[in-house]
Amino acid sequence: MARVRVLPESARSPGRQETESALSLAHRMPRLVLEARRVAANLAHGIHGRRRAGIGETFWQFRPFVAGEAAQRIDWRRSGRDDRLYVREREWETAQTVWFWIDRSASMGYASDLAQASKIERAIVLGMALANCFVEGGERVGMLGLMSPRASRRIAETMAQTLVADRASLEEDLPPQAAVAPQHEAILISDFLSPVRDIATMVEGISSRGARGHLVMIVDPVEETFPFQGQAVLHDLEDGLSLRIGDAASWGKAYRLRIEQHRAELQELARRRGWTLTIHRTDRPASEAALRLMTLVATSRGVGAGGR
Amino acid sequence: MLGLPLTFTVPLVLTALAALPAIWLLLRITPPQPKRVDFPPLRIMADLRPEQEMPARTPWWLLLLRLLLAAFLILAASGPIWNPLAENSSRSPLLIVLDNGFAAAHDWRERMNLALERIEAAGRDGRTVALVATAETPAAIEPASPAAALERLRSLKPLPHLQDRQMHLESVKRFMEATPDANIVWISDGVAGVDGQGFIDGLAPMANAQQITVLKAERAPALAVAGVENAGGQLNVRLIRPEPNGRDSGTVRVLDLKSLPLADTRFSFEANATETHVAFNLPTEIRNSIARIEILGEGSAGAVHLLDERGKRRRVGLVFGGTSDQAQPLLSPLYYIERALAPYSEIRTGRGGVADSVNQLIDEQVSVLVLADVGGLDRETLGKVTAFVEQGGMLLRFAGSRLSAGNDELVPVRLRRGGRSLGGTLSWDTPKTFAPFTRESPFFGLAVPEEIGIRRQILAEPDGDLPAKTWAALADGTPIVTADKRGDGMIVLFHVTADTTWSNLPLSGLFVDMLRRTTALAGAPNDLNAESRNAENATVAPRLTLDGYGIFTQPPANARAVPRNYAGRANGEHPPGFYGSVDSSLAVNALMPDDRLAALDFGPLNARIAPLANAQTVDLRMPLFMLALLLLVADTLASLWLGGHLSNLTGRLRRAGAAAAIILGASLLLNPASDTSAQERRSSMTMESSSPALVTRLAYVITGDSQVDETSKAGLAGLTQVLSQRTALSPGDPIGIDLSRDEVAFYPLIYWPIVASRPIPSEAAIRRLDAFMKGGGTVIFDTRDAFGNRLDGAPTAEGQYLRRLLAGLDIPEIEPVPADHVLTKTFYILDSFPGRYATGQTWVEVLPPQAEGEASRPARSGDGVSPIIITSNDLAAAWAVGRRGEWLYPIVGSDQRQREFSYRSGVNIVMYALTGNYKADQVHVPALLERLGQ
Repeated sequence: MARVRVLPESARSPGRQETESALSLAHRMPRLVLEARRVAANLAHGIHGRRRAGIGETFWQFRPFVAGEAAQRIDWRRSGRDDRLYVREREWETAQTVWFWIDRSASMGYASDLAQASKIERAIVLGMALANCFVEGGERVGMLGLMSPRASRRIAETMAQTLVADRASLEEDLPPQAAVAPQHEAILISDFLSPVRDIATMVEGISSRGARGHLVMIVDPVEETFPFQGQAVLHDLEDGLSLRIGDAASWGKAYRLRIEQHRAELQELARRRGWTLTIHRTDRPASEAALRLMTLVATSRGVGAGGR
Repeated sequence: MLGLPLTFTVPLVLTALAALPAIWLLLRITPPQPKRVDFPPLRIMADLRPEQEMPARTPWWLLLLRLLLAAFLILAASGPIWNPLAENSSRSPLLIVLDNGFAAAHDWRERMNLALERIEAAGRDGRTVALVATAETPAAIEPASPAAALERLRSLKPLPHLQDRQMHLESVKRFMEATPDANIVWISDGVAGVDGQGFIDGLAPMANAQQITVLKAERAPALAVAGVENAGGQLNVRLIRPEPNGRDSGTVRVLDLKSLPLADTRFSFEANATETHVAFNLPTEIRNSIARIEILGEGSAGAVHLLDERGKRRRVGLVFGGTSDQAQPLLSPLYYIERALAPYSEIRTGRGGVADSVNQLIDEQVSVLVLADVGGLDRETLGKVTAFVEQGGMLLRFAGSRLSAGNDELVPVRLRRGGRSLGGTLSWDTPKTFAPFTRESPFFGLAVPEEIGIRRQILAEPDGDLPAKTWAALADGTPIVTADKRGDGMIVLFHVTADTTWSNLPLSGLFVDMLRRTTALAGAPNDLNAESRNAENATVAPRLTLDGYGIFTQPPANARAVPRNYAGRANGEHPPGFYGSVDSSLAVNALMPDDRLAALDFGPLNARIAPLANAQTVDLRMPLFMLALLLLVADTLASLWLGGHLSNLTGRLRRAGAAAAIILGASLLLNPASDTSAQERRSSMTMESSSPALVTRLAYVITGDSQVDETSKAGLAGLTQVLSQRTALSPGDPIGIDLSRDEVAFYPLIYWPIVASRPIPSEAAIRRLDAFMKGGGTVIFDTRDAFGNRLDGAPTAEGQYLRRLLAGLDIPEIEPVPADHVLTKTFYILDSFPGRYATGQTWVEVLPPQAEGEASRPARSGDGVSPIIITSNDLAAAWAVGRRGEWLYPIVGSDQRQREFSYRSGVNIVMYALTGNYKADQVHVPALLERLGQ
């Protein structure tokens, strides 16, 4: 019979260990996959070397003047140095922002002995690893309601500090309903154990300006299989509900049906808004989910760009 | 009940069994507590009501467990008893008389059980019980509650001696007068005690036949060992039994003091005999180590016989007069003696100087004292050795250079000074071998090997009684082993050394046989035991005693010391065992050598006699309660498990284990720390006494004459300067030592200027000096009288003082420094050793004669450093420098270079003391190179 353990509140904030494991996971991510897909999908997204070009963010390169172009585009200072004419090309500023939101409510601090890690730990590691990968890939990363988008190299540490400093979101089940800009993407990591109605409202709020997003549902194996038998009293961690069941085995059957239904509704909701749903079980390695999400982000851009 | 031998003390309780169905019902509807599960998804499932609210049933096995628990509790409360003792219903007190002498030890457990049964039965009937153990000291008999009697019974053990039952008659009589209707149960071993039939005769009139029950084996089963005879090359053990009892054969085992078995022998009784003998045919050396004889498996103190030191192997103490060099054992005569004697005797080696060793060994009560090449003894030691010999000790001496130089009266024959060399360069003789041993000699019958060769010997003056004292002679008739009786003891002298310098005798098997026969003549150790001489008033305390089962234990609290000549059998105050120190223990046995065991005749008692059979009464209460308790534990565990609490428990246990490991590790870490602090505390050596060990320094003896002491100090300071300038040695500042107070072991060289007006140092100081010289140190005696020496050789005052001083020391033979002595080559090449005077002679220990066939070498040396250097040249005065580096004393002599040569002498002496014979080896090198053709 599975043993479960509820983590205290302090364990729901990222520590040194989570940060480090997130960084190590990020390093293990095949960055090239992301890069390659992005380049293939849409050149507009691949602005490599942008930061190496220096402070003048607008400069990209000089190219030879082609007859028929407007003469005012000629960069005379450069052209004066030899016999040809050059045009100063500017950088196409299309770097996008990925918004993260990590659920840190009480229900996330939960682990059974079937899992490799607690839900909250997995969520934080996953979020910070992805953020790190995106920043290295040239994107900017922000946190919904907590942190403005930035492209810092130390994004994982910055996120961790932000999370630790923020106590309010320890109670929040769902992200603030701030609309995200159309080009931006949102990645919401949670267990989504809220009524589908509330989730739908939230998703609609975020995507009201056309932003796209990804739901990552972190699930403990116990929550999926309910491997209990006999008499039990079930306790909820957030609302203080408790339910006494005489025969856990028979209740478990009903439960599994219900959780399937819940997921189906979530899937439907995501599909309607053009979002994706990823279900990640904590007994699986974190890299699985990370890989899938990076693929999804890259693909969605391709789709988005093609669509627009 | 129901044809089973089962009764219940409180049968009414059994009706409670009827309540079991009610308990079953009650348990069935009270399921175990549900387990708590934290489950986040509950929020979205809140509307999902359980379909089946009916709680799970209590599992059937838990139900069964609890019902059994209840049933066992009820059964236990009703007090079931299996095989109850058929008791009479009277309420009269019960007197249990329990024999607990050694004869009862063999089957003590059964006897205990019998008494236990009787007391428990009495307890069930509500009777009071009194208990008498016949081997204990008598006390008033008080009827007590059965519980108190049980308590007392459990504290009883079989005692290792033969009981005296008659002592208890008085108290039994008083008890019977107080309670005339009491019943007596006598659990008897059937063996007559010290009092014989007395107890039965006294008991018979006290009670009528119906009151007395005697529980005894049909035939008294005891076996015992009484008397051991060590005669005719075998050990005879006498075994006895009270009456023919069918135990006709068995095994007797002999063990040594460490309880290692040495030999086993079967014994058998004739069918009707009560006595038999077994003989052990063992080699003497094994027979001598027997300490304990026992009948195997008997488990009684009577079946054990202890043997003490009487008739044990001889203890031999070894003393060597020369310096003991640990690095070269083959050069020490003790090595050969020890190897020859070790299989047959116990070897003790003395520590320290000769005097100390001799004292120590005589105190250890050796029966043979071996002095290998010991010359003179100081007066006190001489007196001790003489007393030792006259009280029956054997003194075995070996010749050697010291003995040939001078000897005392402790030799069997008058000796000539010096020795006789055979087969050397200056004689035409070949080494001599032994003549066959004469019939009178104790060595008669030993074969003389051909290859024995004596190269050197000490000669005896040809007195008239010399042939009678000669045990062995050479082929030319000169005695080689002589012996003489002194008082009760004997002095034996081997006229050769015990090492191989004078002969190859110590390498032969003959040496072993000769030593063995010699030591066999020595008196038994306890003849010379100081304690035995006044045995009447000396007592020895118990050291190791037997308990009733014949197992060695610490002496009990009531054990008392016995007189040294105690020969009786053991009793309550003197339990059998070893008394006195390990070296001279006295064995006290449960039975005397000619004791017999007799069977008791219970006829006069006219009592009911029952066999020792146990009724096998079992009180089932305890097992049932235990079962119920175990079930309760199982039930608790099962409930915890069903409630899901057990898994937490394992985690907690694991953490507790880790904590315990940490504590254990911490304590291990802490312990060494405390150890080191203890070691620091233990080092009592002060800085002052240990600093000489850290730096080499020259030392001089403080004579007490301030002028001389100043000169010594300044002289050694001057020599120290010269040594630091010219050699690799840089000694520390010279130090003055007081022989009576200071430890001298740290100094390689001690300079001793002789002042005739000072008193001779104390005996202790002389002994310390002796130990220093034996330990490899060198002493320079400087008489400083070369200037005043007269040509006629009459000794000066200093010379006489030196003679008196050395008389108490064991000084090797000395000679003037030969020209090829290594002392002349150690640093400078010298031919004399001048000091302030140049005319004096310098003496050192005689070098061994040059080996035959060896090319003459520029430098020779002995095996060590000469422990003594005697000069009269006043070395220190020549070396002495003042504070400004000026010489303090003028040189007396014509040679301008004399002071330089005096320093060179000093350097050579220090180098000799420090490097020994090293230079003697170095001078081979040119010769070797020459031989190699280079």
